[in-house]
Amino acid sequence: MGSEFVLFISAAIFSIGSLGFVIRKNPLVMFMSVELMLNAVNFLLIGYSSFLNSLDGQIFALIIMTVAAAEVVVGLAIILTIFRTRHELDVDRINTLKG
Amino acid sequence: MYSLSWLILLLPLTGFISLSWFGKRFPKLLGGWFACAMVGGAFLVTLLMLAQLYSEDPVDRLNHVQTLYPWIVSEGFSLNLSILIDPLSVFMLLIVTGVGALIHVYSIGYMHHDKEFTRFFAYLNLFIFSMSVLVLAADFFFLIVGWALVGLASYLLIGFWTEKKSAVLAARKAFVMNVIGDVGMVIAAFMIFEHFGSLNYVDVFKAAPTAFFPNDDSILLITFLLLVGAFAKSAQIPLHTWLPDAMEGPTPVSALIHAATMVTAGVYLVARCNALFTMAPFTMYLIASVGVITAIVAGSIGMVQYDIKKVIAYSTMSQIGFMFLAVGVGVFSVGMFHLMTHAFFKALLFLAAGSVIHGMADEQDIRKMGGLRYAMPITFVTFLIGSLALAGFPLTAGFFSKEEIVMNAYHGQYGNFVFWGLAVIAVGMTGFYTFRLFFYTFMGKLRTPEAKPHESPLVMTAPLMVLAGLSLLGGFLGPWVHSFLSPVFGGTVPMHHDDAMLEIIAVAAAMGGIIAAVAVYMTGKDQLAFAKQMLAPIYEALFNKYYIDEIYDFLIVKPVKAIGKFMEERAEKLGIDFSVDEVGRQVREVSRGISIWQSGKVRIYALNMVAGMVTILLFVIFM
Amino acid sequence: MMEFLDQLWSFSMDRETVFGLFQQSLVFIIGMTAILASLGVILCASPIYSALYLIGNMVCLAMLFLLFNAEFLAVVQVVVYAGAVMILFLFIIALLGSKEEKRELSFQNFAALSFVGLLFGELLMSMMVEETKPVLGQVTPEVVQQVGSAKAIGIELFSNHIVPFELASLLLLVAAVGIISLAKFSYKPLRKRTRT
Repeated sequence: MGSEFVLFISAAIFSIGSLGFVIRKNPLVMFMSVELMLNAVNFLLIGYSSFLNSLDGQIFALIIMTVAAAEVVVGLAIILTIFRTRHELDVDRINTLKG
Repeated sequence: MYSLSWLILLLPLTGFISLSWFGKRFPKLLGGWFACAMVGGAFLVTLLMLAQLYSEDPVDRLNHVQTLYPWIVSEGFSLNLSILIDPLSVFMLLIVTGVGALIHVYSIGYMHHDKEFTRFFAYLNLFIFSMSVLVLAADFFFLIVGWALVGLASYLLIGFWTEKKSAVLAARKAFVMNVIGDVGMVIAAFMIFEHFGSLNYVDVFKAAPTAFFPNDDSILLITFLLLVGAFAKSAQIPLHTWLPDAMEGPTPVSALIHAATMVTAGVYLVARCNALFTMAPFTMYLIASVGVITAIVAGSIGMVQYDIKKVIAYSTMSQIGFMFLAVGVGVFSVGMFHLMTHAFFKALLFLAAGSVIHGMADEQDIRKMGGLRYAMPITFVTFLIGSLALAGFPLTAGFFSKEEIVMNAYHGQYGNFVFWGLAVIAVGMTGFYTFRLFFYTFMGKLRTPEAKPHESPLVMTAPLMVLAGLSLLGGFLGPWVHSFLSPVFGGTVPMHHDDAMLEIIAVAAAMGGIIAAVAVYMTGKDQLAFAKQMLAPIYEALFNKYYIDEIYDFLIVKPVKAIGKFMEERAEKLGIDFSVDEVGRQVREVSRGISIWQSGKVRIYALNMVAGMVTILLFVIFM
Repeated sequence: MMEFLDQLWSFSMDRETVFGLFQQSLVFIIGMTAILASLGVILCASPIYSALYLIGNMVCLAMLFLLFNAEFLAVVQVVVYAGAVMILFLFIIALLGSKEEKRELSFQNFAALSFVGLLFGELLMSMMVEETKPVLGQVTPEVVQQVGSAKAIGIELFSNHIVPFELASLLLLVAAVGIISLAKFSYKPLRKRTRT
């Protein structure tokens, strides 16, 4: 069965996504890494829904996509607002919650 | 009918509570007469109890215990809220409430100009309540409760004029010395419980004769500790230094507390526990010795004092020494008889002195007085009667009671020649200082003419007259007292010894003292100066109260203060405060270290999350 | 993996195995492409290039979805995700400007690399357990092919999973209201209006 491929690909994309989140400083790129992670999970769900002969995985993936869309929208609005007030595209400089 | 006896406690307590809570809302005099009514009511109830006791056989008069509430009920220890009505307690109550009522009436006049009039009466009622608790207690527990309450009332009343620093210090001194006595009493109570398994008078005194060998170590210790309490309360040597200072309080206070009632509580204690004390003859010797020594020492100091109240205070100390001598040689009811007569004439003397002070606009130095017999006739007559009684002039009350004491000092169970001899000397001193005081104050010419002395109002002189009557006639109550109290003391009545020789010597001593005073003070001044020069060192010692206060200060007060200061600086600041502060400081340091983790950078938080995820997965996989 | 190679070398050329082999090799190839694209997302200096790589990754994944009999979701992925969401991303990147950021070799990055490597290793451990048994489900691909994928999903969604569906729609409403209030243009004109 190709289930190992599904696992491998999904694990790889997820790890790369989390690596990207921690490494990059640009908030937009960080957000894109989050999208990567979500996509990896979607793929895993759909792969296994095919192996297990059930549509639950696909429904779950559909809902995840909905949530991801909403989240992207709100997140980008927040980044926009932060950029407007601080003109900063470096996440490290936004550390007023320090201490 | 005996259940009415709770009113004796309730009435003064009501007076205290209502005067202290509502007193300011009512006119002053109303509060004063209300307090008098409360104490007068208590006196009437006491008379009722007396009548009730008389309706029974003498044998049945003991052990009437009124229980209000079983307070502690447990295995091995039980305590009830109860009071004991027997001849001794009724006798004491008659004195306490009777003389107390008279002094209340007197105080309405004496404290008339005082701002804190209502508070004074509240405290006076509190005192009557406390003393009643002490006397009516049916077990050692409530005895100690009453003991402490009386000490509290004394403290409040001595320091009544809170703006006078000397009064506040005197109050504190009195309270501290009282506490020393309290400690002794409490430890004695513990030991009594250990030996007898109960704190009830009825149980303890019934078991006492068979529970110990005479002069057993434990009974000696118990009685000694009880004595510590008695001596502290009754101002005997060595715990006597508070009584002269207690004269800082208002004169009615001195009359009530420090002459008639509170200071006699020690004698009451010994009389009440006679069953215990008779099992410890050694302690009885101790009591008699301390009593007679105090009588002499106090008498000698009183001979050279110049404050009118201090002379009477030392006289009180001396007379209580007589009372202790009486109970020490084994004749308890003689001591109680002297307690009663002493209450009459000493209260009379104090109140008359208060009348003098009031008339001389708060002057207390007798060197500034003189010739008051014309300005204050009633006070003059009553003071004369009181002095005669105190000195033991024949047929006055004091004569009868003192005679009996001196007689029994020789013939009593533990009496001997030494006691008798010292007692006679003390009688002589009594006559001397009493009439010295009298002559200085009332005879001769007024030494400070600008003070316009005037007689006191009726509300003050009426109690004086009543007490004078009692001082004259009270002596004839002697036989009644002995027969009434005999059931409490084992059914015995002191024998009347017809030793004519001793009687004559005693009377001669008293008269000798009086005549000596006449000789010294009525004739010339030069003899006085000559005597003073000759005996100058002795005079100095007497005048300074044998320097006992200074000795105590050096031996006890200074070290205690030094220890306290040391503990404050070392143990407190460097030890306790430091460690508590250190804990706080360490917490702050640790949290400062931890707060570095909160960098505010999102990426580091994300890294932490990844690391956490990795760790959890490790556990999940390899579990 | 071993099965794949076995099948490959067994040379039995019946229709089923060929199809299976073909499918598996396609999955492998497209999967590798997707992985390379995601590497491109995180490693590019310019955000626009990262976004483009992400679009590529999503398209690869859509193709993978197709290979696994999820036609409806493949379409939804392309239309919604790669279409709407990524366009939104690109707009914002264009609006905010794209700075080229320099890559640094800090200890933090090294720690990140090691932790993520550990994570990957652990996730791979899941491959070591037994094969997944086809326990659940009566919805075989044949059944789905009968009704049509969209219809099947619709039936499933509206019968068994109605609650998440309604909540998702509520979520979208909330998100819409939220961003409108967040991303409004400047507040200053409001004050000027009140003055006049």
